[in-house]
This record gives sequence, C-alpha cells and structure tokens, in this order.
Amino acid sequence: MDWYSLTYAGLNGLLTGAVFGGIALGLSLIFGVLRIINFAHGSFLMLAMYTSFWLQKFSGADPYLSTLVAAPLMFCLGYFVQAVIIGPLIRRESALVVEPVSALLLTAGVYILIDNLALMVFGPNVRTSASVLSSSSLMIGGFPLSTPRVIAATASLVMAICASVWLAHTDMGRAIRATAQNRDAAAMSGIDVPHIYNLTFGLGCAMVGVMGCLIAPFVPVTPNVGLGFGIKSFIVVVLGGIGSISGSLVGGVVIGLFESLASQFVASSLASIFSLLLFILILLLRPQGLMGKK
Amino acid sequence: MRLNISKNWIALLLAVSVGLPGVLADGYFLQSVTMVLFFAYLACSWNLMCGYVGQISFGHSVFCGIGGYVSVLLLTNVGLSPWIGMLVGGVAAAILAVIIGYPTMRLRGPYFALTTIAVAEVIRIWVENTDSAFGIQIKGAEGLSVPLLGTNWSMFQFDSQIPYYYIMLGLLIIVVLMTWMMERSRLGACLKAIRGDRDAAESLGINPARYTLIAFAASAFMTAMAGSFYAQFIRFINPERNMGIELSIDMALMSIIGGQGTVAGPVIGALFLAPVSELTRVYLGSSLPGLHLVIYGLVLIVAVLYLPKGLLHPLRKLLHRMIGRRALGDGVRVKAVALSGLPGTAQGERDE
Repeated sequence: MDWYSLTYAGLNGLLTGAVFGGIALGLSLIFGVLRIINFAHGSFLMLAMYTSFWLQKFSGADPYLSTLVAAPLMFCLGYFVQAVIIGPLIRRESALVVEPVSALLLTAGVYILIDNLALMVFGPNVRTSASVLSSSSLMIGGFPLSTPRVIAATASLVMAICASVWLAHTDMGRAIRATAQNRDAAAMSGIDVPHIYNLTFGLGCAMVGVMGCLIAPFVPVTPNVGLGFGIKSFIVVVLGGIGSISGSLVGGVVIGLFESLASQFVASSLASIFSLLLFILILLLRPQGLMGKK
Repeated sequence: MRLNISKNWIALLLAVSVGLPGVLADGYFLQSVTMVLFFAYLACSWNLMCGYVGQISFGHSVFCGIGGYVSVLLLTNVGLSPWIGMLVGGVAAAILAVIIGYPTMRLRGPYFALTTIAVAEVIRIWVENTDSAFGIQIKGAEGLSVPLLGTNWSMFQFDSQIPYYYIMLGLLIIVVLMTWMMERSRLGACLKAIRGDRDAAESLGINPARYTLIAFAASAFMTAMAGSFYAQFIRFINPERNMGIELSIDMALMSIIGGQGTVAGPVIGALFLAPVSELTRVYLGSSLPGLHLVIYGLVLIVAVLYLPKGLLHPLRKLLHRMIGRRALGDGVRVKAVALSGLPGTAQGERDE
C-alpha cells in the first residue's frame, strides 16, 4: 500500500463523504426541528434522481439544470407529506411529545409507498442520466478527481453554509430554531407551529432533492436506490449529532473517509460494514454524536 | 360468555384450517396458504418481544436467516436432520439476540430500531460477501440449496405440500399458545409494565433489561425456527431474501397493523396482508411489480393514524357488538318464553 493510492483514496473519500453529508442535511434539519426520523428520506432522493432522468429524456436538460425543477417539486411533496400525513399524528398527540416510534412507522409507510409506486410506474430498470461534465475530471494536486463529484461535494458545503446563515439571520430561520427549542413556547410567541413544521419538512426534502440532481450524473437510479442512501444518512446524522448542520457534514466526511480507506484493505462491498459498526458504537458510547451537545 | 364466544371461534378456525387440505388439495393453493401461515408465524414471533416491550425491531430477518443457514449447513456438512438443525438454529439465534440485546436494550424508541437495522445489515453484508468461513462453504450472495432427498420424515422433506402445511400450522399454534401463556404469566405482566412506563416499572423493582432480554431471546428462537422451515419448504435460501430488510419490515408491519402486544393481532394482520401480497404477486406481479407493497404502505399509514391499536381492536368491538346483541336477544327470548310464553314481555326483561 503506497502513499499515493492511500492519499487518492482519502481524497475520494472526502468527496464522497461531503456528498453523504449534503444528503443527510435535510434529514438532520427535520430531525432537529420535528424530532422525527424521516424514514422516507432516501425516497425523496430517488424521486429527485428520477426527475432529473425524465427531464433529460424528454427535454435534453442537463441534470444540473433539473435542480431548478426538482427542488421546488420536492419542497411541495415534502410540505404535502407533512401537512397531510404526519401533521395529523402531531395534532392527535398535541399535548404530548409525538411518540417517536409511531412517527417512525408512519414515515416507514411513506417510504414503502413512494418506493413501490416508483417501481410500479418506472419499472425496475437501472437508468442513468448523463451530464456534459460526466466523464471529465479535474487535476487537483496531481490527483484526477471526477468533476461531478467535486461539484456535488462543493454544493453540499455551500448548501450547509447557506442553511446555517439562513437559519441564523432571517425571521423564518429564527422561527424554525425557536420551534426546535420549544414548540409550546414558540406557539405562545405567535409562531404558527404547524406551518413551520410543514415548511421545515418541505425544506429538508428540497435539500435532498438538490443533492439527488447533483449525484444523478454519477449514480445510476433504480426505484430502490434511496434506502441505502437513507440508512447512510441516519448513520451520518447520528454520528454528527442530531439537528447539527455542521455535524452532518463532519459525520458525512468521517463515514466517507472511513469507507474509502477501509475499501483499500477489504472488498468495497464489505466496507459499509465498518460504517454500520461505527454507527452502533457511536449510539452506544456517545449517543449525542460527535458535534452534539449533551 | 365472552370466553365461550372466543372458544367457539377458535374451534371453528381450527376445524377449518385442519380440514383445508382435505377440501382443496391443489398444490399451488396449499403452498400459498402455507406462506400466509408462515408470515402469521413470523408476525407472532416478532410480536413476542417487540409488541410486548414496545421496542420496534427492523432487523428480525437476521434471526430467520440464521435459522435457515444453520439448519442447511448442518444438513449438508454433517448430515444432521433439519428437525434438530431447527432447534440448533433457534439456540444460535437466541444467543445472538442476547449478544445484540445486552448493550442495545437501553436505547429507546427509534434508536433501537435503527440499531437493529444496522446489526442485521452488517450480518447480511458479511454473509453476502463470504464464500467460505472457518472452512464452511457459505457461498455468499449465491445462496444455499437443500439437496433433494425425496419424501423422508426424518430429513424434513416431502413431495406433497400437505405435510409442510400441517407443520407450519402446528408451529403457528405453538407460537400463539406461547404468546397466550406469556400474556398470563409474570413475564407478560412485567413486559407490559415496561412498555407502559419503563422508569415506573424499574422503580417497582422490575429489571427491564432482564425481562426484555428473555423476550428477545424467545422471539429470536421462534423466528429462527421459521427460517429453518422456509429453507426446507422452498429448498433454497440466500442472504437477500432470508436476511434482507424487506422481510423484517414485512413481519413488523403485519404485527403492527394487526395489533401488536396482543395474542391474535399479528395473526389477523398476517391473514389480512399476506393474501393481498400473494394475490397481487400472482395476478398483477408482471404488469404492476410492487403493487402489494404500495397497499402495505397505505394500510400502514392509515393504521398508524387511525387505528393505533391495530385492526384487532375495531374488529373485536364489531364482533362483540354483533354477537353480544344476538346473544342478548336469545337470552331474553328464552327467558320471556319461560316466564309467560308471551313474546310481548320481552321488552320489560331487557333491563336485567
């Protein structure tokens, strides 16, 4: 094992990790504000990837352009899912904290529904969308890195910064943070909590929608591509600390580096075992995550 | 009265299920019905721990897989009868459950669910990528098949579907009886106390970890038996189908939709959902793949929102209302006739 290939694997792991972090951002936001694990997170990613595939098929649009369509679409879908499906559960248990297990089951139902509707409508075929940049690569420090991966990694960094700034400095962002801290106090201060919930869920889905379009040039799409990314996002969010935007990126990078370096020593399909084991260890030893506060 | 009604129903159900192969001996039909019973059994096994303690496991399929792999490997390598392999597989799964359960029991709600997914995935991915371990051929993603030996009771192989059907029915009856006995035992009471309020239960001197572990091990043991049965029934197992997350979700769904933490709930859930899946797969499987799961998803959403106690609860209410009214009517009529022979007096008796 020479230094060149290890560094190269490390760089690729960094890029993949940043992409994992970007995908997990929306999950972390929803988890932080609504205290709900969105099991259907990967399904929204899959839908965004299909959006970019079909847009390219029918209008020839580059996957990067389809972000403009997929993000609003996923926002509306997320808003709808929260308002129509999860909202009633929160209303029913208004006085209590939502029982997290029934919320998990509910989103698991949404995941089963969306994934299999996609299977019914789009069929089980593996499909790929191609960008003009798909096969190009950038030379960084003597290492050839695939351009779409660099773009996706940079975009997740930019998205994380934008989200933190927006949450910190706008009225809506402050309302979301207030609701996350204490929803009853927020409601008493005149914040429309159900509306904030819908908005947050929509926003989280829009963020994963953007990432779906950005990974479409290098990840082939099938109806069940989402679950793997969804499980990876849970790992990233738990690792980084629930509800923490920076934690999501850090968690993603840790997982990406970990898997990429592990795959230098074992078969790459075995590498994901290590991130799953890391996830179990973190849950047992440091449940608040790497960046989370106690 | 209530006991009599359910006794009659159980007797009727038993009579129908025992007599079924005699009436409809079609092999394909029996195979489908056996699969429905198989899912009912899995849902019941899942319910033993998850339903009663209230910890959702999305990784139970790993126990099913272990049961299948242990019994098949023992059969092909040592020549051990699957009847004994089934028990060995069950014990292996129970030991694994204790190893997994011991550190993770204190995780609550969704964290436990995510951990069970992670553990199951670790084992599935390992099996999928391992051709041989410790000198034993596991054959990775390719899967294992059971060598054909012809009808042989001691080797758990039959040409006809009927013995498989009766074995599965017997297993289902055992797990239902086990749940019924557990519900009436100290263990059941403790588990329900833990589900209700873990801290309160602990303050009363109940050790939540110990009781949950016992239930987890029992649940894993029973799930593994189904895995061994499946291996003999289909004669082929592979990691994706026998250890995958889909199977875990299936058994959790059936139990939750039917009514977790009850004796009959998981059976009702499976009797309701499994035929849906069998029928749509046969008639619409090629044109609309995944339709049965779309239905599962919809039913799950509706059940969580509107029937948090599962299908069993409204069904039982409906049943009692129907039977209760008829029983009351009968009683009144008998009494009225005995009293005066005039049906007109029935109105006045109703208050009693």
